[in-house]
Amino acid sequence: MATTTATITLGSHDISDSNISITNLNYLNTAGTDTGISKTTGLTRVTTSATANVVLLDSSATGGLQVAANATDIDKGKVFIQNLNERGDGSKYVTVLLTAVEIGRLYGGDWMFIPWDGGDGNDVEITPSSTTDTTLEYILFYQ
Amino acid sequence: MATINATMSLGSADILSQPIHLTAAMTLYKGGTTATGLEQMHYHRAIIPTGTNFDLIPESDALKDNSNYVYIANKNTDVTHYVTISINTEVIGSLYAGDWLFMPWSCDLSAAANDSSIELEAFVASNTIEYALFHVGETLVTHTDA
Repeated sequence: MATTTATITLGSHDISDSNISITNLNYLNTAGTDTGISKTTGLTRVTTSATANVVLLDSSATGGLQVAANATDIDKGKVFIQNLNERGDGSKYVTVLLTAVEIGRLYGGDWMFIPWDGGDGNDVEITPSSTTDTTLEYILFYQ
Repeated sequence: MATINATMSLGSADILSQPIHLTAAMTLYKGGTTATGLEQMHYHRAIIPTGTNFDLIPESDALKDNSNYVYIANKNTDVTHYVTISINTEVIGSLYAGDWLFMPWSCDLSAAANDSSIELEAFVASNTIEYALFHVGETLVTHTDA
């Protein structure tokens, strides 16, 4: 097993009269155990100018991830995605989708970290808002 | 305006043959802006019973700016306890005891009611959840008292 940690800090000095600071450290373990996740896609960097859906993580029956997970659901994957573009004028973003359901928008500089249950067809996809080159980095940890 | 920062550190010394360590930092802005920070938030703690898929964060007209950010943490300690997080018909994933997520959230009122609400269901046992929503607005309920 491997030991992988993810730590988040959310903070603000001026959203309220008192400082807000939320910190959380998470050990990435397999589902329902304290055994560390031992598989990862590794870090991937991609640049695209497409404005159609782009599949980042292919969870189809023929997708490499399901093969790697012995043709079963990936089950308790963890996905990190970051939009490395500059924020610019704040009008450009990528929409992150799970299959056809929009999750949210990553503007330049934004990142996200979510659990991902995978399963046949539950791809993680992005749709850039413009033809401007968009550079993303992402990594999946899975069991 | 307020300034809210979100930083993350992701690392492992032994999942690959070489150590891996990623860091990321961002400031939470309103959509379509370069410097105007989000200035409203909710920070909740709730005990979620099993047996029902709840709307944890319901969609509303005031949130439809598509620049909201959500943090959810499962504060249980039994590693078999978990909750599922879903939007519409899609289960995003499972948060087991100790897990957290942080993601942007698009509140989309264009489809059927509650289609973009963030839903949560607890399994195995009640799960204590902490969650924060950094958002662009809130639909307040007009009082109905006499």
